[in-house]
Amino acid sequence: MLAPTKRHGFDPWLVVLGVAWAIMLALLVWPLWSVLSASLHDNDTGAWTIGNYADVFTLKSYRRAIANTFIAGLGGMTGALLLGVSLALIVTRYAIRGRIVIQTLAVIALVSPPFIGAYAWIVLFGANGVVRQGFASLGIDIPTIYGATGVILVFAFKFFPHVFLITSGALSAVNRSVEEAAEGLGLSPVQRLFKVTFPLILPSVTAAALLTFVLSIADFGTPRLIGRDFNVLATEAFTLFGSEVGGNPGMASALSMVLIILSMGLVLLQRRLTRRDVYGGNLMRRPFVVKATGWKNVGLHAAAYAIVLVGALPAITAVAFSFRATRGPVFQPGLSLQSYERVIATVSKPIVNSLVYSGFAVVAIVVMGTLIGYLIARRPQPATAALDGMLMVPYVVPGIVMGIAIITRFNGPPLELTGTGLVIVMAVFIRRLPYSARSAAAALKQLSPSLEEAAISLGYSPAKAFLRVTVPLIGPGILAGALMSLVTAMNELSSSLVLYVGATVTMPVRIYLAVLDGEYGLASALSTILLGLTVLAVLGAFLLSGRKQSSLL
Amino acid sequence: MSRLEIRAVEKSFGEVRVLKGVDLTVESGEFFTLLGPSGCGKTTLLRIIAGFQGQDRGEVTVDGDRIDRLPAHKRDVGMVFQDYAVFPHLTVAENVAFGLRARKLPEAEIKARVEEGLRMVRLDGLAARLPSELSGGQQQRVGLARAMAIRPRLLLMDEPLSNLDAKLRIDLREDIRDIQRRLGITTIYVTHDQEEALAISDRICVMEKGVAEQVGSPFDVYHAPRRRFAAAFVGTMNFLKAARDGGRVRLGSQVLQLAAPAADGFDLAIRPENVLIGALGEGRPGVDFDAVVSKVVFLGREAQYTLRTEAGDLLAQVADPTRELLAMEGRPIRVKLPYDKILVCSAAGDVAPAEAA
Repeated sequence: MLAPTKRHGFDPWLVVLGVAWAIMLALLVWPLWSVLSASLHDNDTGAWTIGNYADVFTLKSYRRAIANTFIAGLGGMTGALLLGVSLALIVTRYAIRGRIVIQTLAVIALVSPPFIGAYAWIVLFGANGVVRQGFASLGIDIPTIYGATGVILVFAFKFFPHVFLITSGALSAVNRSVEEAAEGLGLSPVQRLFKVTFPLILPSVTAAALLTFVLSIADFGTPRLIGRDFNVLATEAFTLFGSEVGGNPGMASALSMVLIILSMGLVLLQRRLTRRDVYGGNLMRRPFVVKATGWKNVGLHAAAYAIVLVGALPAITAVAFSFRATRGPVFQPGLSLQSYERVIATVSKPIVNSLVYSGFAVVAIVVMGTLIGYLIARRPQPATAALDGMLMVPYVVPGIVMGIAIITRFNGPPLELTGTGLVIVMAVFIRRLPYSARSAAAALKQLSPSLEEAAISLGYSPAKAFLRVTVPLIGPGILAGALMSLVTAMNELSSSLVLYVGATVTMPVRIYLAVLDGEYGLASALSTILLGLTVLAVLGAFLLSGRKQSSLL
Repeated sequence: MSRLEIRAVEKSFGEVRVLKGVDLTVESGEFFTLLGPSGCGKTTLLRIIAGFQGQDRGEVTVDGDRIDRLPAHKRDVGMVFQDYAVFPHLTVAENVAFGLRARKLPEAEIKARVEEGLRMVRLDGLAARLPSELSGGQQQRVGLARAMAIRPRLLLMDEPLSNLDAKLRIDLREDIRDIQRRLGITTIYVTHDQEEALAISDRICVMEKGVAEQVGSPFDVYHAPRRRFAAAFVGTMNFLKAARDGGRVRLGSQVLQLAAPAADGFDLAIRPENVLIGALGEGRPGVDFDAVVSKVVFLGREAQYTLRTEAGDLLAQVADPTRELLAMEGRPIRVKLPYDKILVCSAAGDVAPAEAA
């Protein structure tokens, strides 16, 4: 519709389009192509082969990894759906005291550095876990968190906030009149829930389900730290790629490709299933909030608080344990700032690295994301539509795979970048660019194109109209998005883990290494610092966006 | 004071030809309306004049200067939008001043022009408000003041009233017309609302499928439509299948005192207010039918009748109907079609008054 007149000279947006494509090709297509190519070559002879893929589907250990990946994905998804949808129903439909507390705890669970979940559960329920030892002293032996059950539990409590936020958004957008109409037609409240309300929120729920599945199968830290011999594709790929001796890049690449295809297939399936199911109406009456009484009321409050408290438990644990005295890896009775002293004395480098890399990445993400978002929203044409489609790819490429792809590509000529901070920034940038671009595009689609046209007809050039009208209007949203990008950039573990060298260690990587070494005190202190920075950024984002949390996450 | 000329303008979106060679001249100070259904190309033509879209062929000139090669922001054309496009982050006064700042006018002059503009659209006193505190009608007044403040050569309005409710629409319509007359600014107005077009315009261009079907004064477009589309789109029109009988027109079983056109496959057309029922038709030269009243709709100052005749269904409108006339549903009645009000619509879609035989 708004194709600008080609004859009126030079269109700066064409340059943006070109740059965007160049970036996508250099940082996404080229590296992933290298992975694909590596997966199809023999490591030693360099000859073409499909042997790696044959191994994936015939060797027992890889078949088990695939099966485990599905178990982890389905388990994490189911758990997160149960917790998230229940919590959303309780909070949106019943009068619950301290709704803000619940939402805040859910957000804390959501933005906690992802792997502190795994590690905090170890501290509580690991072999020497505090809770386990507590029960043991009472003569009760509870199983350790390690293994498949633990992984699924951690996923469920880690990813349910996504489901909760998406579903409660959908639930509060269900028009009350529709539900009243259903009751007027003779449906009981329970029938109404299943026949009207659930079908209406189904598109959001399936989107959330898919998201949690993809997050679960892409997660590396959790199965690595508490899976023990519960190997999934992500951990197998990392092990194969990273082995000091006899790494097997061909095999690692093949597993990576399987992981990508799995995620991609699910995303496409979900799109197919829900594309038509977008319900909307102009007239909107907010849904009823019911005041429960008696035991039902108590039960609902207990359930809601239990879910979010357990969800936020890892963050709380990390903070609490960071102030405990330690001797070596072992916690001692009493409080102390020992762990922080050790952080400052020995591992301040990762903090600086994290801040510098995330800072650079976020600036790049926001500038490029906004420009690309503008192209998507305002210049619909084949090249932009293709760009939009291409932006979907990073969503489904797990961090480990992105790390492997970038290191494979930039490990030698023509560009030797391994070991620099730049590769870490590049990986974070390309992984998070789609979020920023999509949210900028969404913000712009809310904005009538005639606003810019009005400015142009009043005498401002297109570039000035963009700066004077569009940027101020979407500015707060962009800034809030930038802070959320900062959160994800600071917390990036999996790709950095593949890409770091001694000098470029980041906070998440250092925490991961500390947990592997059993240095829980150090890990707690670093996690707390990271959590503090994260919470600051999230608070800033909420302030900027007027507390519309769900629009950010 | 600017005269706009549009010469042979063509535009296609992919395979779709949206404008198929449009020629128009808008005189200086004229209020000129592009009227047509959605998809007829009226908005595209307006956006070509504004410079938001380029034409494939043809030229646009203002006072003899070609403007179609200028970028939109250098055309000096004020635009009023359907969705108001008032900048939500700026106050009313800042909105009106927006275009003046682009022109780097001295502050004092900007202030004076803003005040004048707001007084003109009757928003004085609301200068410091933000658009979110205004009603839709007030926002559109800001849009109008903002477009006028730059004293553009042309004022373009893209369905400016279509998002307002009926009462406001008429109020603002009157104001737009008054302001336009007072300032004498050449105005191109796009609408799909034929009543609005009739009420506001000096001249109307009825468009369909990328073609300017008829250009004329509201009176001519209504009373002397030259194309079937214009006849049907502006106001209501009855069309009745007719045939040749010798040199004359046959309608149903009757041969009329009207000369038939050269080719077969034509219709007769007549406006509902010209269809006379019962005693109202007595003594007028015309053709009479026996009809049955199948429906009566009372609208206050008038009533609308659906009549079944041997020549087909007819709509008739009766001003200030009596109680007796309203109770006619299901009853037989005499209907007269006066000859001097009958139009002939050829198979090719050309419309002309019927000629006596």
